[in-house]
Amino acid sequence: MVLKIGFIVNPIAGMGGRVGLKGTDDVLDEAVNLGAKPVAPGKAEEALNEYMSNYANKKDVIHWLTCAGSMGFDELKNACIKNVEVVYKPTSIETSPDDTKKACKVFLEKKVDLILFCGGDGTIRDIFDIVDKKIPVLGIPAGVKMHSGVFGVNTRAVAKMLNEFVNHSLTVGDVDVMDLDEKLYRKGEWKIKLFGVAKGIIEPTYVQVGKTVFESVSDDEFKNELAEHVSDEMDKYSDFLFLMGSGGTIDFISRKIGFDNTLLGIDAVYNKKLVAKDLNEEGILNLLKKYPKVKVILSPIGAQGFILGRGNLQLSPAVIRKVGLDNIIVVSTPSKLISTPFIRVDTGDKNLDRLFAEKEFMMVVIGYRLSRVVRIQTNNF
Amino acid sequence: MKRNPTAFLKIEYLDLVNKNLDWKLRILESGSTPHAIVDGKKILMLCSNNYLNLSNHPRLIKAAVDAAKKYGAGSGSVRAIAGTMKLHMDVEKKLAKFKRTESALIYQTGFAANAGLIPQLVGEGDIIISDELNHGSIIDGVRLSKADRAVYKHKDMGELDKVLSEADKKYRRILIITDGVFSMDGDIAPMDKIVKLANKYGAMTYVDDAHGEGVIGPDGRGIGAHFGIEGKIDVEMGTFSKAYGVVGGLIAGSQDLVNFAYNKSRTWLLSGSHPPAVSGAQLAAIEVLETEPEHVNKLWDNTKYFKKELKSMGFDTGQSETPITPVIVGESNKAKELSNMLFEEGIFALPIVFPMVARDKARIRTMMNAGLTKKDLDFALEKFEKLGKKLSII
Repeated sequence: MVLKIGFIVNPIAGMGGRVGLKGTDDVLDEAVNLGAKPVAPGKAEEALNEYMSNYANKKDVIHWLTCAGSMGFDELKNACIKNVEVVYKPTSIETSPDDTKKACKVFLEKKVDLILFCGGDGTIRDIFDIVDKKIPVLGIPAGVKMHSGVFGVNTRAVAKMLNEFVNHSLTVGDVDVMDLDEKLYRKGEWKIKLFGVAKGIIEPTYVQVGKTVFESVSDDEFKNELAEHVSDEMDKYSDFLFLMGSGGTIDFISRKIGFDNTLLGIDAVYNKKLVAKDLNEEGILNLLKKYPKVKVILSPIGAQGFILGRGNLQLSPAVIRKVGLDNIIVVSTPSKLISTPFIRVDTGDKNLDRLFAEKEFMMVVIGYRLSRVVRIQTNNF
Repeated sequence: MKRNPTAFLKIEYLDLVNKNLDWKLRILESGSTPHAIVDGKKILMLCSNNYLNLSNHPRLIKAAVDAAKKYGAGSGSVRAIAGTMKLHMDVEKKLAKFKRTESALIYQTGFAANAGLIPQLVGEGDIIISDELNHGSIIDGVRLSKADRAVYKHKDMGELDKVLSEADKKYRRILIITDGVFSMDGDIAPMDKIVKLANKYGAMTYVDDAHGEGVIGPDGRGIGAHFGIEGKIDVEMGTFSKAYGVVGGLIAGSQDLVNFAYNKSRTWLLSGSHPPAVSGAQLAAIEVLETEPEHVNKLWDNTKYFKKELKSMGFDTGQSETPITPVIVGESNKAKELSNMLFEEGIFALPIVFPMVARDKARIRTMMNAGLTKKDLDFALEKFEKLGKKLSII
């Protein structure tokens, strides 16, 4: 079966990095004035060449749909890839987020099986704006910021993942779309936000069902187990307030238990009933006055496995100190722990980070009453 | 419309067939001998668990026949009612002496031992800590328990220590559970270190030594003997169906353990006991191990020779420390192809592919056997070399 893959390059992605900007979103002119050179086309070609030399065979298994010029066609041509159809032409030589979005609209209409893109966090946000969860995405890393969970670790890894997707040995699962709030950053604040949950390609999890037989188990089945686990914890600690962190896994768990959760925010639950929605730091601290016993449910967010510091920003050092480290319950699907084998913490408070660093390990819940030990990494220790 | 109550049987079976996930049973038309007939073809057997070839030993066969003649074909009941024969007790006594533990208990199968005992040892408020590569029957035993579960990285004692220190604060009982010999790679759990860590935290230890009984340790007395820690592992679980050449599960440990186990294991209490022929053969198997060291010695000689020759040809035999000898070939399809080609050449060895092992570590898993002669091994090695070159593995 021939797969349709939408291929898009953000030719200006990554240009800000060498000149000390945290991206090119909104400030391309400044980057160019500082002497920035294109990075993404080279990275895209590198990934395509890796795929062609290591995995492609004579049979055309991919029908490539792409954009004219340096937004995809040039890179495919340079990698000697055939079976290419140009489905979108940018209006001017200087491409913009608008071009990415328009191309994605065409990919949606043409019902591609996967969007392979080359860029950074800004690029995936533009793609996500249009395709949401309708098409899985895979990113060739070329941006300055790459906190989202859609990127392969390098061009070689992307080529391998593409091959495994084509051979149907990888599956589709949730990945986080993250980005720096660039306006805040240019005012001196460095904050990574969770922008949404897209579909990416992930390693399936297998469970042994016979002596030599394994079955692949979907991420949703594991999330069901996690929900059952959290539900039991809520019964067991019925006098505790539960703060539910952000992201797709927690969202699934909350909905399964039966309350309407805020995907990108922090909600509070008591006796399995929603007490408050989308809380900010102040709102949480006020609630803690009323509810002295608290547990926090968190799940790693983004490509690097952060539970605190990227997303979940409302859970400030003051909140975490009040809650106490022992009252943090971390849950994760096993597939996520394959891509993020560490739990990372960057609270912005050195002394608090030190407490996490001293723990060294954390028990992470990966199934119903099933956990495994995972190493904690903090930025400063 | 009235529902069709059994339509799912066919639908679900055909679904497995379509996905190529159904079991295609190979039929043994001879005994499980080194030279056997499988699906009408004469083959050299490299994938049975009959490590010591005891299933064909004259003493075992005679003991089985004699016991059947003397005591009949069946035992008549479950052990707890009227099915405990003196023969069963004799096996247990002999086994405890052989394993140098205070006591021992026979279960109907190894699976019945794990599924029956594990959920009784730990329940709500307890935790089971398990190696990530443990065998399926342990996993099922663990699932039947109400205890919490935690897994540690394969043989990683640092991680085990961390899990224990976390568990120590929160739980009533802690049970560490591991395979003795891991069946995919043939490596051995560091039981001495596990017992040491268990003692530090007051945890119980449980080892599934199915592939170690009759194979490792002096006289094949298993993993406790291998590390010189007989009687220090709380539950040594094993099987009579592999190196011992018969069938049945076993546990060895303290008298307290045995008293507890047979009063509480539902699998033991609710299945009929072994027929006399089985028990007779079990008894003879232990006697053979005690008095004929040549079988274990031959198994290890064969293992060393086969591994050495494979390595000198350029094959990767992985981390194995036991007669389980993986021949790593890389991609899954290549392993399946090699297995089929070997069968055509008269060698029966199964491929082990992803996800049982990593994607690039697909392999043929060979099991050495004391009944194989040097001529047999050279025949197998010649075929491996020929086909390995043909498939560009070496």
